[in-house]
Amino acid sequence: MTAIAALPAGGPGASEQFEELYRSSAAEVYAYVASLLRDRSAAEDVTSLAFERAYRRRALFDVHRGSARSWLFTIARNAALDELRRRRRTGALLHDVADDSAQLGELDDEVAERRLLVRDGLASLEPADREVILLKFVGRLSNAEIARVLRCSESNAGTRLHRAIQRLREVCGVTR
Amino acid sequence: MSRDELSASQLAELAALDRILMREPVEEEHLELAALVDSVRANAPRMDPTFAAALERRIAARRARRRPPRPALARLATAGGGLLAAAVALAIVISSGVLNSASSPTATTTTGHPRLQAPALAPATPTHAPTTATATPSNGTAVPSGAASSSAPTTAPPPSVAPARGRLVHRVSTLTLAAPPAAMAGVANRVVAATEHSGGVVESSNVSIQGSSSQASFVLAVPSGRLPGLIATLSSLASVRALVQNTADITDGYNAQLARLADSVAERAALLKQLATVATSAQATSIQQKIAALAQRIAAEHRAVERLRSAGHSAALDVTVVPGASKHAVALPAGPLTAAYHRALHALEQILAIALIALAIALPFALSALALWWGAGVVRARARERALNV
Repeated sequence: MTAIAALPAGGPGASEQFEELYRSSAAEVYAYVASLLRDRSAAEDVTSLAFERAYRRRALFDVHRGSARSWLFTIARNAALDELRRRRRTGALLHDVADDSAQLGELDDEVAERRLLVRDGLASLEPADREVILLKFVGRLSNAEIARVLRCSESNAGTRLHRAIQRLREVCGVTR
Repeated sequence: MSRDELSASQLAELAALDRILMREPVEEEHLELAALVDSVRANAPRMDPTFAAALERRIAARRARRRPPRPALARLATAGGGLLAAAVALAIVISSGVLNSASSPTATTTTGHPRLQAPALAPATPTHAPTTATATPSNGTAVPSGAASSSAPTTAPPPSVAPARGRLVHRVSTLTLAAPPAAMAGVANRVVAATEHSGGVVESSNVSIQGSSSQASFVLAVPSGRLPGLIATLSSLASVRALVQNTADITDGYNAQLARLADSVAERAALLKQLATVATSAQATSIQQKIAALAQRIAAEHRAVERLRSAGHSAALDVTVVPGASKHAVALPAGPLTAAYHRALHALEQILAIALIALAIALPFALSALALWWGAGVVRARARERALNV
C-alpha cells in the first residue's frame, strides 16, 4: 500500500523520492489534516508545514522504523495536534470545512443520502475513532502504518480500527 | 482472548478493507463496507487547486535550492563534539588550577610553613635602626678641619636592615646516595646540573672516580624554598642511603646582632656630635680614633647581620655519593630519548587527567539533557493526545 519504502538521505534520487512521496500523499495528508482541524485555511498551513518539516528532516527518516508514508502522516498529525493545542490556548474559532453538499445534487438520491449520513455519522464519532477511520479510509495506511502513527501495536491498531468501523455503522444505522 | 485479538471474521473484514482501498474486487458480503469507504472518501476535504499549485511551487523551490542534508549521525556528532569541547575547556580551566597547585609542592610548602618562610626584610628604617644624618656638625667653625674631614667617610648610611618579621630558619641537610661505580661520574654531573637548575650553587666539591673506591661529595647552597625539590631530584638519581635534615632557628641571634649594630651606630652618632663641639685638637684626635675603631666594629657587625640573613634565606645541602648497588635505572646517564619518553609519559598523564575531569563534567550534563529531552517528549505527546480529544 505504501508508495515509497525509503527516503535516501542524500545523493542522486533523494529529491525524486521525496517528489514521489509528495505526489502520492499530498491530497490524502491534506484530507486527513483538514478532517482533524475542520478548518481549510489551517489545514493548508499545517499541510505545508508538514511537507516542509518532512523535507528538512528527511535525513532523520529511518526505514527500519516504518514506511515513508507513516513517517509523513506522523509529522502531519503532530503538526495538526500542535495547531489544535494552539487554538485551545488562544481560543481561536473553528471555521468548518466548506460544505461540499452542492456536489451531491449530481448524484442519485440513494448515494447522496448515504454520503450525508456517513458524513454526519463520522462527525459524531469519538475523535480517536474518527482519526483511525481517517487514517485508514482516507490515508490508506496499512494497520502497521497506523500503529506507527498512533504509537500502538499493530494488533491494537487493527482492533481500534474494527471497533471504529462498527461504531460508524451503528451511528449510520447500517445493519449487516 | 486478549483485548486486541480479533476473530476470524473480523480479520477477514479488515483484509477485505485493504483490498477495497487497493481497488481490488471483494466478496458480496463486503460490498456494504466498500460503500462505507466510498462515502467516507467522497466526503473527505479536497485541496483547493490554488493551494495545491502553491504547495507544489514551494516544494519545487525547496528542491531547487536543495542542500545535502546532514546525516543524523553528523548532527549528533556535532552536538556531542560541542558538549565535549565545552567540557574539555572547562576541565582545562579547572585542572590547570588543580595540577599547578599539585605540581609545585616547593612553592606550597615554602609559603604554607611559617618555619620555612624566608624572612621579609622591610626596606623602611626600623624604629631602633641606626641613623647617621644627625652626625653632621652644624657649626663648622668650631671644628678643626682635620676632624671634619676625618668624620666625612663615617657619615655614609649603613645598608638598610630590619629585624626579622617571621622566623629565620637555617636549614642544613645531608644526603648520602649510593650509585654503581660505573655510574658515579654521571650521577656527580647530574648533581651539579640539578643544583644549578634549582638556582643553587656548588660551594665546594670533591669527586674521585677510582672504581669501587670512588667517592663524590658536594657542599651545595640553595634557596631555602627550593631545598625539598632539589632533594627530591637528587634522590631520583641514585639510591638514598641516608637523609638527615636539620633546622636551626636563628631569629634571636639575628635580632641580637642587629641590636648590637644599632648600638654601635648610635654610639658613632654620639661621637660625631661630640666631635662637632670639641675645643681642642687633642680632644678631636681622640674622638676621631674612637670613631675609626667604631667604624671597623660597625662594618664587622654589619657583615655578621648579612651573614645571618643570608643563612636564613639559603639552605646548605651536603651530598655524598658512595659506590653501591642502585635500584634506580635512572642512575645511568639518561639520553635524550629517555628524557623525551618521560616527558611524553607525563604529557599523557596530564591528558588522561583532563579527559577524566571532562568526562566527569560532561556525563551528568549529558544524562540530565537526555532525561529532560525524554521527559519533554512524553509531556508533549500527552498534550497532543489531549488536544485531539477536546
